[in-house]
Amino acid sequence: MGYVAARGGLDAIEAAENLVRRKRSEGRSSWLEQDQLVERLRLLVDRVMSEGSLWAPELAARALRQAEGDPIEAATLLRSHRSTLPRLAVTEPVSADEIEILRRIVPAFRTPPGPQLLGRTLDYVGRLLETTDEDTLRDRSVADALAASERTDPVPDRNGSDRNGSDRNGSEHDGSEHDAEDRRPRRLLELLRDLDLVIDRRNPTDVDPEPYDISRDPVRPGVPRSALLSVMARAEAGALVNLWYRNILGPDGHLHEITLGEVRHGSLPVVIAHPATGSPVSVGEIRVTEVEAIEDLDGLEEDRGRFDVGYGLVAGHDERKAIAMANLDIAVHRDGGRSSLTQSVLLTTDGLEASGFLEHLKLPHYVTFRSMIERKQAVRTAQSGGPA
Amino acid sequence: MSLLDELVGEPEPTFAHLDESSKREIRRALLSAVAIPGYQVPFGSREMPVARGWGSGGLQITLAVIGPDDVVKVIDQGDDAGVNAANLRRLVVASTGVTETTDSREATIVQTRHRVPEDPMSPGQVLVLQVPVPEPLRGVERDVRELRRMHAEGDYARMWVSLYEDLVRNGVITRTTGYPCLVGGRYVMATTPIPRWDVPRLHQAEHLSLFGAGREKRVYAVPPHTDVEPLTFTDVPFEVERTEGARCWRCGSAASYLVEIPGRDRWVCSDTDWCGRRIDGR
Repeated sequence: MGYVAARGGLDAIEAAENLVRRKRSEGRSSWLEQDQLVERLRLLVDRVMSEGSLWAPELAARALRQAEGDPIEAATLLRSHRSTLPRLAVTEPVSADEIEILRRIVPAFRTPPGPQLLGRTLDYVGRLLETTDEDTLRDRSVADALAASERTDPVPDRNGSDRNGSDRNGSEHDGSEHDAEDRRPRRLLELLRDLDLVIDRRNPTDVDPEPYDISRDPVRPGVPRSALLSVMARAEAGALVNLWYRNILGPDGHLHEITLGEVRHGSLPVVIAHPATGSPVSVGEIRVTEVEAIEDLDGLEEDRGRFDVGYGLVAGHDERKAIAMANLDIAVHRDGGRSSLTQSVLLTTDGLEASGFLEHLKLPHYVTFRSMIERKQAVRTAQSGGPA
Repeated sequence: MSLLDELVGEPEPTFAHLDESSKREIRRALLSAVAIPGYQVPFGSREMPVARGWGSGGLQITLAVIGPDDVVKVIDQGDDAGVNAANLRRLVVASTGVTETTDSREATIVQTRHRVPEDPMSPGQVLVLQVPVPEPLRGVERDVRELRRMHAEGDYARMWVSLYEDLVRNGVITRTTGYPCLVGGRYVMATTPIPRWDVPRLHQAEHLSLFGAGREKRVYAVPPHTDVEPLTFTDVPFEVERTEGARCWRCGSAASYLVEIPGRDRWVCSDTDWCGRRIDGR
C-alpha cells in the first residue's frame, strides 16, 4: 500500500545508518574496548551516567563508543534504554553520612573535623600538555604500575584506579595513615550547627518526605526541593555551570561567591529491601560527588547572624557540576520564586531536551517556511497599499 | 541464575515499545485532554528512541493508542517518504507489526508533523500531531506560573493586544503557522506549526486530533465536533496561505497546500500521496 512511494526517505536513513556502523568498525587503530573507556576516560563515563541518569559504567562506555564520543548522544542512549527497563525495586534511603570518601576537601577551614584528603584530582597537576612520545609514555606507565604494585598498601583495595591516581599525585600514603573513621568524617555543617551559625531548615514534622520522581512526573515551578535537586543531578554539567556563571557575572544576579564547606567524592551503598525477608540488604555501591555550599546571607530580610547551606549531589565524579548545583540550590531558595531562576533551573538545564530541540531545526521545515514567505509578501502588499 | 534474573524473569516482548503501565498513564492523560478540549495536560513523558524535539510526544501517543489491527500512516511536511517520517514509521511498525499505508483514507491513525492530510478525515480516525511548542501564549508571557493563571482564568487579553498591535503595525496579522485558536470556546491552543491552511480542518471535524509535546511533557486534544476558532477580529477575516495563480505542476491542483520549488517558478502539493492519487486517478 504505497510502500514503494514512501521508500526514498527510508533508503536514505538506512544508508546513513549503514555508513555509521561501517565507519565504526573500520579504521586502522584497534577496537576501543569498554574497559579502556571506563578506566581511562572515567570522567567522561561518569558524566554520561550522571546526565543519562543511570549508574551503569559498562553501558555508559558502550553508549559513548556508539555515540562516537558525543556525551549528550551517549546520555540520550542511556536514558532511552532506561525507559524500557522494568522497575524491580525502590532503594531504601541512605544517609549521605555513610559515604566512604576517596577525596574530601573543606576550603572553609584549615583544620576541619576529619581529614583534608586530596585524593585523585587534576587540580594541582600542572596544566602542561605532555608531549613525550607515545612509546616512552607507555613504558613509563608500565614501570609506574610495577613500582606501585611492589609497594605494600594496608588499605583494602576498594578501587585500584583511585589508589594509583593518588600515587601519581604524590600522596602515596593516601589512606594508610587514616583510620576508618577518617574515611567517614563528620561534616563541617554539624560543626556550624553546634555553633548555632546555620539556619536550621529541617522540618521535624516532615522528616523524610517521599522524593519527587522527575522521571514519572513533569516538573514546573512550585515542585518540592527534591524535584529541583533531581533535575540538577541529571542536568547537563555545562548548563549548570553556565547558569551559575551568568548569575555571578550577570546579566542574572542571584549569586555571589560562596564558600565551600564540603567537597567530597566517594562511594555510597545501594540498599534495597530483600524481596523475601524485607530486611535491608546492600546490593552494590555508586560513586557520588557531594558539595555543601555555605552562603553568607546578606538580604535585607534575611538572618544576618547565620549562614545558610546549599546542597549538591551528583552521580560519579564531577565537582564542577556538584558545586554549581549546590550554589544554585541555595540561590533558588533565597530567590523564593521572585524571579525566573527556578524556572531556568527546572526547565532549561536538561541536556537532552535542549540539544534535542536545537537539533530538530535540522528537520525539514519547508511547510512552515512557505507560510512565512506568504506572510512576508502579505505584509509588503499591505504596506504598498495593494489589495488586502 | 542470579537474583536479578530471578526478579526480572523472562523478558516479555512488549507491544509498541512502551511498557503497559506507561501506555496506560499516557492514555489517562489523553482522556483528560479529550474531556477538556484545548487544555494542556502534563504527563510523565518517557525518553524515546528518538531525540527530544524529534516527535517523541507524537510517538508516545501513537504507541499508547495503537492496537494490532490499526493501520498507520506517518507524514512529515505532508510527505510519507521524508526522512523523519520514514524513521518514525519504522519505529512504530517494528514494535507493533501493524500495517502501514500512505493513503490517509485507509489509515486508522495518522501521525504527522506540520500538516493535516488533504483528504477529509472521517469518524473513527485519529490524527496525532507532533508538537514542538505547546504553549500558545509563550510569545506574550514567559513565566510558566503566570501562563497557568492566564489559562485558568481565561485571561487572553494580552494575546488579543498582541494580535491588534501586529495588525496596526503591519497591516495584516503576521502569524504564520501554529495559529492560536480558541477551542470549545474556552482554551486558547497552539495548532502546532500546521499552516493556517489546515486550521479550518480541525474545526467541527469528524476525527479526533491528539497533540503530543514530548519534550515539554504535555498532551492536548480536539475531540470530534468541537469548535476551533482562529483568533481574529470580526472585521478582519482569518487568512490562509494562498498565492495567486499557483498550481501544482504535477497534478494541477490549486486547492491544496502548495510549496514552492525555488528558482523554477513551480509549485507542488505538500501532501505527496494525495497528489499522486490525483495523477493516477485513484
